[in-house]
Amino acid sequence: MASAPAEPASRPVSAVLPRPRTPTGGLIVLGVIGVTGLSLYGTDFDLVELVAGAGPIERFVSQMFPPDLSVGTLEKTGQGIVETFQMSLLGALLGSLIALPLAALGTADAATIGASTPARVARAVPYHLARLALNVFRSIPDILWALVFVVALGLGPFPGTLALAVHSAGVLGKLYSETLETVPLRPVEALRAIGASRIQRLLFGRLPQAAASGLSLTMYQWECNIRSAAILGFVGAGGIGQEILIAMNLFDYSRVATLAAATIVAVLLVDRLSAAGRRRFVV
Amino acid sequence: MGETAVEGTPAVALEGVEVSFGAVRALTGLSLTVERGERLAVIGASGAGKSTLFNALTRAVALDRGRILVEGQDIMSLGDRALRAAQRRIGVIYQAYGLVPQLSAGINVALGEVADLSPAATLRTFARGPGPGTSSRVLSALERVGLADRVADRVADLSGGQQQRVAVARLLLQRPSLILADEPVSAVDPVTGERVLRELLNLVDEDGATLVANLHDVSLARGFPRVVALRHGALVFDGPPENLKDDVLATIYASEPLDGAPVDAAAVDPSSLRRPRAPVHERESYGLRAR
Repeated sequence: MASAPAEPASRPVSAVLPRPRTPTGGLIVLGVIGVTGLSLYGTDFDLVELVAGAGPIERFVSQMFPPDLSVGTLEKTGQGIVETFQMSLLGALLGSLIALPLAALGTADAATIGASTPARVARAVPYHLARLALNVFRSIPDILWALVFVVALGLGPFPGTLALAVHSAGVLGKLYSETLETVPLRPVEALRAIGASRIQRLLFGRLPQAAASGLSLTMYQWECNIRSAAILGFVGAGGIGQEILIAMNLFDYSRVATLAAATIVAVLLVDRLSAAGRRRFVV
Repeated sequence: MGETAVEGTPAVALEGVEVSFGAVRALTGLSLTVERGERLAVIGASGAGKSTLFNALTRAVALDRGRILVEGQDIMSLGDRALRAAQRRIGVIYQAYGLVPQLSAGINVALGEVADLSPAATLRTFARGPGPGTSSRVLSALERVGLADRVADRVADLSGGQQQRVAVARLLLQRPSLILADEPVSAVDPVTGERVLRELLNLVDEDGATLVANLHDVSLARGFPRVVALRHGALVFDGPPENLKDDVLATIYASEPLDGAPVDAAAVDPSSLRRPRAPVHERESYGLRAR
C-alpha cells in the first residue's frame, strides 16, 4: 500500500517583530540592556525621587498662577519675543548665505573620469575643506557658539544672532549639499556632455532642481532657530530667555508664566508659518 | 596633443575600447570608425553595450583599455579646458530626462550655448536670463520644432514628445558637429518618435553633422544608411540595413537564460524582435513625480 507523501513540517514564516536569531544577535540585545542599566545607574535615575519632588513642583506651578499681566511685564515680554523672532530670522538668513557657497564646494561632482591626478586633487581639497568647516559649524551646539561670541563681543542679541547663524550654516550647508548631490543626474550629465563648466552645471543643472527643497530646509532651520533663540538668553545672548532667567532668579514665577506662555505661542506660530510656507514651496 | 579638432580625421574612431563594471565586461575591445557626416544607427539587445558606448563617447565612463578619438582628439586625455572645447561640438539627446524639468523650455534651449558663456555671462544668464541674441535664436529654434508658444512653460509641464522636441531645439542652438543620441525616441509614441527623428535628421543634413544614434527600434534603424549591432560589448554587424536579414537579427537579439548560456539563435522567432520598446515602467513623467 502506497503511503501518502509525508506532509512537510509546518514552520512559521517569521515573526513581525525582529528577534535575535544568532548568538551574536542575542549578545547585542544583552549589551543594549546592560548599557541601559548602567545609564540608569549613572544618571541617578530614581522614580521615587520624582514622586517625592511632586510637592515642590506643585508649589512652583501654583505660584505661576495667576500669570503676571502687568504693563511692565507685558512690555518686556513683547520686546523679548520680537527680539527672539528677529534673532531666529537673521540667524537662518545669514546661515543660509554662508551655507550656500560652502555647500556648492562640498558637493561631490562625478566629472572626474579621465581627469589627471593634479586635477583630482585640485577638486578634492576645497571639497574636503568645505565639508570640514560645515562639520565644525554644525557639531558645536548653538549655545556653545553663543558662549564663545558673548565672551568675544559682550552680552546682547548680537552674539546670539551670530551663534545661530554659524550653527545654521553648518546644518544648512550639510543639507544643501546633500540635496544638490541627490538631484536627478541626467540633466546635469547632459550639460556636462555638451561642455558646461562645473559652476554652470551647478547653476543651471543642480540648483533649479534643488531650489524648492533648499527653501523648505531653510524655513525648517528658522523654525529650529526660534526654539534655540528662546534659550540663548540663559548665557546672556539676548532673546526672551534672558528675561526668563532673570525672573527665575528673582523667584518671580508669575512673570515666568507670562514669558513662558508667550514663548510657546511664538514657537507654535513660527511652526505653523514655516509649515505652511514649506507646503507651498515643495513641488 | 592638439587643442582643436584635427581636419580630415574621422568624426569618431574607437580603437580597441574596453570598459568593464566590476566583473561585467560592457565593451570588449570595440573598434569602430565613423566618418564625418555619416549617420550611424547602433542596435543591440538591452545590456549589449549601446549605452556604455554612448557614455564612453561623452567621457562618462573610464576606459580600461583603448582610445576614443573624436575628430582626431583623444577625449580621455584632454585637460579640462580642451575637453570642454571638444564637448562644445558634441550634442547629446537622451531617451528622456535630459532637460532640467524646473526650468522653462526657452532656458533649456538656451543652454545649448552654455559652453560659450564666459563666467560673467554665466552669472548674467543665471540672474536675468539669456541675452537678446540668444533669445531670438531660442525662439526661432522652438518655432522650427513647433513649440514657440511653449517657450515660457516649465519643461516638467510638457509631454514626453514635446520634451524631446525641446531637446532637438537645444541641438539647433548648439549646432554641434557630432550628435550622440541615446534611444532618443523610445520613450515616446511611434508617430512622435518618427517626427523627432525626422527633425534630428534634418538638422544633421543642414549642418553636415555626424549622427550616432542608439536605437531600440530596428525598423527606425533601417532608415539609416549604416547600422552597427553590438552583442556582449562586441561588434557583430556593420553594414547597410539591407543586410540585416532575419537570421542576423536573431543572432543580435538572441536572449539567453539566466545562467548565461546562449540560446540557440535559430530557435528565436525573428518576427518577435522587430519592435522592442521600453517597458511602460521606464516611461515615468516628471509631472507625476511627487515629493
